Amino acid sequence: MLAMSRDFSSITSILNNIGPFNEVPDEYSPQETINALSSSKILVIGAGGLGCEILKNLALTGFQDIHVIDMDTIDVSNLNRQFLFRAKDVGHSKAQVAAEFIQERIENNHLKITPFFGRIQDKPVEYYKQFDVVICGLDSVEARRWINATLVSLVDNELNNLIPLIDGGTEGFRGQSRVILPKVTSCYECTLDMVTPKTTYPVCTIANTPRLPEHCIEWSSVMEWPRNFGSQKFDADNPEHVEWMYQLSLKRAQEYNIEGVTRLLTLGVVKNIIPAIASTNAIIAASCCNEAFKLVTNCNPILDNYMMYSGDDSIFTYTYAHVNKKNCPVCGNMAKNVTAERWWTLEYFIDELSSKLEIQMKRPSLSSSSAYLYLRNPPNLEEKTRPNLYKKLSTLIDDGNEIVVTDPNLPISLRLVVNFSGPEHEPL
Amino acid sequence: MIDKETKYDRQLRLWASTGQANLENSHICLINASATGSEILKNLVLPGIGEFTIIDDKVVSPQDLSGNFFLKRENLGQDIATSITSNLSELNTDVKGHAINQSIKHLITKVESLFWDQFNVVIVSDYSPELDVVKDLLWDKRIPLLIVNSVGFYGSLNLIANEVTVIETHDPSRLYDLRIDCPWPELQEHADSIDLNSLSDQDHAHVPYIIIYIKVLQAWKQEHNNLPPQNYGEKKLFRLLIESYSRNIKIEANFTEASNSIHRALQVTQIPNSISKLFENSNIKDENLSLTTPIFWIYIKALKNFVHLNNNQLPLPGNLPDMASDTAGYIKLQNIYRAKALKDQELFTHEVQKILDSIGRSHDDVNTESIASFCKNSQLLYVSQGSKELYGTSLLQELLHSEQASENYNALGVYFSILTYNAYIEKFNSKPSIQDLETFSDLFFQKFSIDKAEVLPESILNTFKEVLSHNTQNYHNLNSLMGGIVSQEVLKLATSQYTPLDNLFVFDGIRSFSEKWKI
Ligand SMILES: [Zn+2]
Repeated sequence: MLAMSRDFSSITSILNNIGPFNEVPDEYSPQETINALSSSKILVIGAGGLGCEILKNLALTGFQDIHVIDMDTIDVSNLNRQFLFRAKDVGHSKAQVAAEFIQERIENNHLKITPFFGRIQDKPVEYYKQFDVVICGLDSVEARRWINATLVSLVDNELNNLIPLIDGGTEGFRGQSRVILPKVTSCYECTLDMVTPKTTYPVCTIANTPRLPEHCIEWSSVMEWPRNFGSQKFDADNPEHVEWMYQLSLKRAQEYNIEGVTRLLTLGVVKNIIPAIASTNAIIAASCCNEAFKLVTNCNPILDNYMMYSGDDSIFTYTYAHVNKKNCPVCGNMAKNVTAERWWTLEYFIDELSSKLEIQMKRPSLSSSSAYLYLRNPPNLEEKTRPNLYKKLSTLIDDGNEIVVTDPNLPISLRLVVNFSGPEHEPL
Repeated sequence: MIDKETKYDRQLRLWASTGQANLENSHICLINASATGSEILKNLVLPGIGEFTIIDDKVVSPQDLSGNFFLKRENLGQDIATSITSNLSELNTDVKGHAINQSIKHLITKVESLFWDQFNVVIVSDYSPELDVVKDLLWDKRIPLLIVNSVGFYGSLNLIANEVTVIETHDPSRLYDLRIDCPWPELQEHADSIDLNSLSDQDHAHVPYIIIYIKVLQAWKQEHNNLPPQNYGEKKLFRLLIESYSRNIKIEANFTEASNSIHRALQVTQIPNSISKLFENSNIKDENLSLTTPIFWIYIKALKNFVHLNNNQLPLPGNLPDMASDTAGYIKLQNIYRAKALKDQELFTHEVQKILDSIGRSHDDVNTESIASFCKNSQLLYVSQGSKELYGTSLLQELLHSEQASENYNALGVYFSILTYNAYIEKFNSKPSIQDLETFSDLFFQKFSIDKAEVLPESILNTFKEVLSHNTQNYHNLNSLMGGIVSQEVLKLATSQYTPLDNLFVFDGIRSFSEKWKI
């Protein structure tokens, strides 16, 4: 008995029998399906709460060539849900520890898990071409935009090189999973306006009229930290830094008779912490892997294309086909219309643009069809274009002109048609 | 040694230390050491459930190993309950795991019924013999039972509980109880003390909108037979009236906010129907109150008495939304709300104690925190009466004559396919496969006493075929998904926070779609 290794008896009936909802019953062949499953290369991005679950699910449902990327190391606060990690692993690479754990637990010589401890942006585009499916279990909006744009850019007009992207995300008792077929379904960028923005507070409230404990913490973090420590960056994992922040916030709160500044809240505000539990990660990761399994085996139809889940008020799911945006900067082919006031300077325009939910660029560079308006890089061009920041946009381009916005962190170029309105001068 | 606050940081933000303490005092029982069951327990061991017990007499087979991450190859041939318990215990040293390597059939005849009292929630995963006996036993003991099934791409979950009551529902609508339409004397006095006309421009732009609303609404009522705005047109006029109080709506952020949030000004202070209905509940009739009445119902009785003494109003929660204001003005207002909330809490506590006295219970049976929490949430309380049945006539009617079902698909068909699947195992002691379609259909008619003249719709036949073709109970993605869902329900029940399922849930992994019913 002991000599036997872990087999796939748990999924044989699924692979061998054609069910009533199979969409390709005439072409379906069990043997080909088994081959497809064992030979397909799948990439898992993120080895955190979702990633641990995803790796486990893939390894138990017949996938044998699994790659995993994560730039993070293991932290104590991961242990309440990232079940492949133990206290002794704190400080080590998530991708490496996760891969080793799965290999050891599954004990199957045919299973190969290849970890990469680093950023997804460190790999060339060519690297991504080798995969049949990519599953994303990340909490970073920027990394998802990057992989989404990269996979969309690989697809040509005949839909060659189409690599499906399955994306999952969770927050507390809620989450969502979706299947993105680049250039076919809507993409991650198409739904950027559905991302919950980070709560921000007006500067004048923080500086002059704090009312909530959060205002006091923001004051310490946004205004007092740079004033006291200059260019030294605040490190939320450094207990001394956190203690300083907490004590200062507490002092300010006491001055204003505001109650409720605690260490827990301080950490929550400065780290923008999102509540997370193993249960929700399990649900969303399983949904993502179920879609990957159906996609590779063709045994049943796949999700078209978005499922929202919430478990805080009974159990609720909402499944629908999210429609792609024609003016999506990644998968669309139309420019997006924006309106600017005539009196806006270029700098004002860029500020407005960066804060827009569906755009969200941290370091945008702008050019028109004939000239650079403002470039962040290289330094000599930055210097040359900097004076434009203080000029009125309406003096730089004409009404109805198209401009292109790029960000060094994203392989995206956003096309905007600018329409002017309003007065020439800032109203008083 | 890792401190718990750091380890549990991400979940404490959901249920705080009170929820965590409840969780750590909970003991969960799993009947059947299935893959789904292991996944459920993993999601409970990680956040620090107090104890768990697994009941199963089987030894680990290759099929068990195939779909269960919490079995190792070396466990083949060993007791499955012990193996899973030991592999799960590695995840969290704070948790105590116990294995009972006996069949439920045997155990149930052997143990005193007292044995079950140690559990806060019991879970049955996949087919189990003696399910009806277990169900009856736990129902009588008022211990919630979760029954979860996973067959192929389908999953189902029943919550069998006599009654579920939740105080901290974390209602997502985030309504604030501000009493703009009926300020209490201290609030009225404070509003009256602010003379908008005599304020400097700076102060005028910092008057919190609560004050603005109280003033404008009272002005409006004087002109309108003491009635608030009644319809859309009047609400628009009311908004204009608010804006007319501003010196310059473009720069006075407080007035802009006031104009944008008028639903807060027009919210009517009243007792929600869901709450006044509780006042009629037989649990709180004098003759039914006893030493064993749950504290929740004692609170409801006290709440009923409280509103009689308090102008038919619930206790004030006392929390405010943030709003444009200078610090002093906001804090002043906050203190007025808090003081009133505390006063209400005192009056409420007094009513609770009177009831406790009348039935000879100690005042120590309740504590200040739980009273404070009840008063804060008294508008949002959740109560549901459950059912012991797995199906009823109306559910069967819906199955056979559903208008929602399409020609080839019926969501309720998924559930009845699973019930029939278990009935088949009960009868034939083996899993049905696609070759057994006819026997399976016959069993369906027989089990649910359906007239054989009834033609089985294509949609139901399809779900039968799906379940029989893909008849595995160990398709891991479904195990893990259902495991996640069940563990969320256990967390809600154990922490007494958030609203649980009521009471039947079905997940379809082919359509990535779910539906709920109340039996
Ligand atoms: Zn797109």
